[in-house]
Amino acid sequence: MTLAPQRQTDASSRPSPVSPGRSPRRPGAGAYPWAMSGAVAFAVAGAALSLNGVLRGWGWYLPVLTTIVVVSLAVAGLRALRSQPLLVTLGAFVSLVFILTFTFFRRDSIVGFIPSDATMAALGRYLRRASETVLSESSPVAPNAGIVLVTCAALGLVVILVDALALPLGMPATSGLGLLAVLVVPAMIKPQSVGLAGFLATGAGFLLILACSQWFAPDSRIQADTARNPGQVKRAAMTGAVALVATLLLQLVIPGFDEGTFPQGSRLNPWASSNGLNPMISLGNSLRQPTGDGRITYATNATTPLYLRSVTVDRFDGDAWSPDDRDSTRRAGAGRMEVGHEILAPEQVREVTAVNTGDFTSPYLPVPYAPEAVNGLTGRWSWDPATLSIKGTDTNSRNQQYLVRSSAPKLTTELLDQSSAPVRGIPDEFIRPPANVPDIVRTTADSITQNGRTAYEKAMAIQRYLRAGDFTYSLESPVQGGYDGNGLSVLADFLTQKSGYCIHFASAMAVMARVEGIPSRIAVGYAPGRLTGATVSVAGQGALPEFEVDARDAHAWPELYFQGLGWVPFEPTPSRGVVPPYAQDSSSSGGASTNDGNNDGLLPTSGATAAPAPGPAPLPLPGTGGTTSGSQLVPALYGTAAALLLVLVAATPRLFRTSLRRRRLRGPARNGQAARNGQAAQKGQAMAPLAWAELQDLATDYGVRPVPSETPRTFSARFRGSPALIRSDKAGPEASEDLVHRTAEAAVTDLTGAFERHQYGRPGSPVETAGPAETVRLPDPSAADKIRAVRKALRRNAGLPGRLRADWLPPSVMSRFGRIAGAPFRAAGRVAAKAGRAAAGSWNRARDGLRRLREG
Amino acid sequence: MEPHRRTTMDEVLPGGQGFAGTAAQGGNQLNGHKQSALDAAAFRAATERILDAINTVIDGKAEAAKLALTVLLAQGHLLLEDVPGVGKTLLAKTLARTIDCSVSRIQFTPDLLPSDVTGVSIYNQSSRQFEFRPGAVFANIVIGDEINRASAKTQSALLECMEEHQVTVDGKSYKLAEPFMVVATQNPIEMEGTYPLPEAQRDRFMARISMGYPDKDSEIEMLETHQATSPLARVSSVVTSADVAAMIATVQRVYVSQSVKEYTVAVGRATRDSAMLRLGASPRSMLQLLRAAKATSALDGRDFVLPDDVVAVAESVLAHRIILDRKAASTGETPQSVIRGVLAKLPVSQEMTESAHASRQARAAGSPGAPTARPSPELRPSR
Repeated sequence: MTLAPQRQTDASSRPSPVSPGRSPRRPGAGAYPWAMSGAVAFAVAGAALSLNGVLRGWGWYLPVLTTIVVVSLAVAGLRALRSQPLLVTLGAFVSLVFILTFTFFRRDSIVGFIPSDATMAALGRYLRRASETVLSESSPVAPNAGIVLVTCAALGLVVILVDALALPLGMPATSGLGLLAVLVVPAMIKPQSVGLAGFLATGAGFLLILACSQWFAPDSRIQADTARNPGQVKRAAMTGAVALVATLLLQLVIPGFDEGTFPQGSRLNPWASSNGLNPMISLGNSLRQPTGDGRITYATNATTPLYLRSVTVDRFDGDAWSPDDRDSTRRAGAGRMEVGHEILAPEQVREVTAVNTGDFTSPYLPVPYAPEAVNGLTGRWSWDPATLSIKGTDTNSRNQQYLVRSSAPKLTTELLDQSSAPVRGIPDEFIRPPANVPDIVRTTADSITQNGRTAYEKAMAIQRYLRAGDFTYSLESPVQGGYDGNGLSVLADFLTQKSGYCIHFASAMAVMARVEGIPSRIAVGYAPGRLTGATVSVAGQGALPEFEVDARDAHAWPELYFQGLGWVPFEPTPSRGVVPPYAQDSSSSGGASTNDGNNDGLLPTSGATAAPAPGPAPLPLPGTGGTTSGSQLVPALYGTAAALLLVLVAATPRLFRTSLRRRRLRGPARNGQAARNGQAAQKGQAMAPLAWAELQDLATDYGVRPVPSETPRTFSARFRGSPALIRSDKAGPEASEDLVHRTAEAAVTDLTGAFERHQYGRPGSPVETAGPAETVRLPDPSAADKIRAVRKALRRNAGLPGRLRADWLPPSVMSRFGRIAGAPFRAAGRVAAKAGRAAAGSWNRARDGLRRLREG
Repeated sequence: MEPHRRTTMDEVLPGGQGFAGTAAQGGNQLNGHKQSALDAAAFRAATERILDAINTVIDGKAEAAKLALTVLLAQGHLLLEDVPGVGKTLLAKTLARTIDCSVSRIQFTPDLLPSDVTGVSIYNQSSRQFEFRPGAVFANIVIGDEINRASAKTQSALLECMEEHQVTVDGKSYKLAEPFMVVATQNPIEMEGTYPLPEAQRDRFMARISMGYPDKDSEIEMLETHQATSPLARVSSVVTSADVAAMIATVQRVYVSQSVKEYTVAVGRATRDSAMLRLGASPRSMLQLLRAAKATSALDGRDFVLPDDVVAVAESVLAHRIILDRKAASTGETPQSVIRGVLAKLPVSQEMTESAHASRQARAAGSPGAPTARPSPELRPSR
């Protein structure tokens, strides 16, 4: 009996046993595929809503929507044509390739949608662009073509995955995994997590999928699964409860989970090693790290608190700021560097600092400003004359120990105040004010500096404004306010909200200074560190006190250029760093005010003079491990995709096996005239080979492999007598156990008989006649029930490893895969054998010929 | 155990009216489709009666008895080959006795003439005409004892009857009775002065059975029961020859599916391809194999043949027809073991699943009957 008609009878509780004329399947043969595909498309499109915020704006949504719709239509169309499930999935892939080609590579393809070589080349470019975007920008990233392409492709794949889970595999509830995969990305990257709209839309779509699989179920299989199974509700409740508990526990267990904003990728992201190409992005995350890592220690003879500087950001145009490496003008070697502009200060302060970077990894070297020479480095390094940033050409800062000699003019308020000469000798990009400066920045700058006569006064006014009570230092509020990042638009938000952290303060001061005509740039590095209490002896300097900094000390500060004095750091960030003496307000209490109790230890009382100390702290900034939300995007996308793929691959044998079993036990209705207009007996007959195939595979899975030369009867006898099926001695004495095994044996006998009748019996003869007399007849359960009975007994006998193997690596499937995989090799082997025989034959003939010649 | 009798014919020789009657009757009986077949229950009852009767006489040889019955129902002839004294002749006689039909026994000797077997035309002085006096083969069951002792000429006279189911004397053909079965015994040990059946003639026998020695218990029981009287005397016929004809008709209606036919053919081809055999199974043997398989399945209560049936009879049906390669023989292989090896390697084609199933359904719809089950033309009596 096929399952379908039986269930139909159950569902409608009609007693009439046979209704031959009725097709039990597809009450809405036409509507089902369309409805399901529509539901899937709706759900995925809904989930895609949540990506707003990962990608800026909404411009990307249209191509995404197109992709989803096209793939869904392809799926629905193919399914409406009743293609094989595999074909449907394949067709979906093809349609995905076509629509992506059409959307993104129309000009580089054949006929507009067929990929060609040119398409592949363009694809490479796009992917590079996407990964660059992701690496160098913080979220939300600009939706350039590359990133949109990746998004479209990923969502198209999700459509296929969800569809495959919901339909051919018959697990509509599990299809939520696919949607979850979409949501994971915003959850990890966006500060506001998924967002209400995306969540609601996804949820609604998921419910729609479930509902459609109920309303339009093709063969009432899925319906029946839910309706018939009283355990379903209980299971659902259990799953929900477990999920809830897990969520609550997770929060407690994972450090830092309850601080800050939860969906912060850095804590969840397993691919946390950032390359630090853009320190601006990683800075916020580094600062928010609950535990500092990337420790750098240094020892110095400097008398003032020492800032370690990695890199500068000087271009304020564009949506996102990033360091300009100026690779073309970099000079190799870090042994001797010069500032490149005139220094007229009367007195130079020379310092020696020994740095140990430990596991801090970044392309940029943290050094005190302004470095003159760095010794002891390994690898090749280059320096930028314009900014004095030192960058590895083939190496990074990890595990470097080096000695930096730096010198800076001894600055005083007076000197700065007097520096009024026009700026010259530095690149234009430090001078040019950015385009599109938000009005609020310009007006604020103008209003606070209106009384300033000199550049210094203006700078002090800006610093004073930012350090004043209006502004608060907060790592979280930019995140919550949605302006965690950098760029001019972020700056506007910051000035409105008056809350942020060093990036915001530094960039505000730098941009306002530029607006006011003072050349400026943002330095990224570490605020002065804490004394460790240890000392490091440095050649020529004696023992120097050692300091340490770590990710939490990551800092950004503005550097302003004063003609004749060079680049002068300021400290606009309240409660962080140390305001240098020259930048202190005369009005404010005199001494060097540290912002932070933290930094008390910074001021070595005396002349702990220059000493290079091994002081590595990881700067998350310049590109070490600090993961920024932006740089998480690509790993997150790839990672999610890879994880999904991995799970899918690992589960493939099981899925394949399960769907095979389902399809077999569902019966031959697919191609069955038998099912549609045949008699019950015929249906039973048609069922027999499927059930038999299933029985054989089942036996294979549990270690009883069918032998080709066995007749069904011999196999059946062997199977019934095998330890896999008979009651094992280990089994308890309960009668129920005995029953299980006897039922299973009887089921095997029955299935064998049915198959023999089907295979060898007179076609069309009633099933009942001429059954082997030996069979113990069951009350007439369906073939599916018999298979279940056999499986139950097998599982009972098999140990845990056996069960696991049968579930996850079923030998029946694996050997099938093996045969497929081995086919080319076998073919090659046959060809080789043939060639070998031919060669041997020719050789023999040639030899015989020769011999004959010789004898003749 | 049977005393060696010099008489050439000691059993009932049907009289003149007997042979005429049987000849007329036989034509009808073998027309399988006209003959009413038995239903499953009656068939089983009849076979059980026969087997029970045989088993009361011969202890511990149920398999041989069943095979003998199989051959009878498959309209074949049986060759019993074994050392003297294991019950070859007893089996043949018991089988004959359980059926209410004419039985004749021929003790083959070197001086036995072909006309002793087939019959001879003699001149009737009173009527002044030649009259045909039927030979020993004019019976339903013919027991040929020690067939290898007769001259080749006599042997072939019998073998011709076996194949043709008729006797031709002086240009005139006489039909033999139906059912007609020859049970020949052959002694492989005492080879002197014998004319072992050549391969071509062994091929005429559907199956060869080696009786083998009975096990210990059976032997002891045999000693007890056979002491006073021969149990053969107690056996009375349990079925009529009409019953047997009906049973044969039943067997003929057993359905043979395409895949079983394919399997049977595959068996034959595999023996021909086997490196260990000099001569594989002939096409005729394939036919006989299938018929024996049909009878086996009917005896098993089925109305369709399984590959298992083919396997079950393959050894008995094929072993005496194939000739071992000398190399194989020297390594201790026997025909039986070779056939077993062939069967163990031959896949039972079972790939008929979804796809083939559809075509099968289509075929079934077209032809409800089972055309394959008809007896082959050569077995049908000609008039």
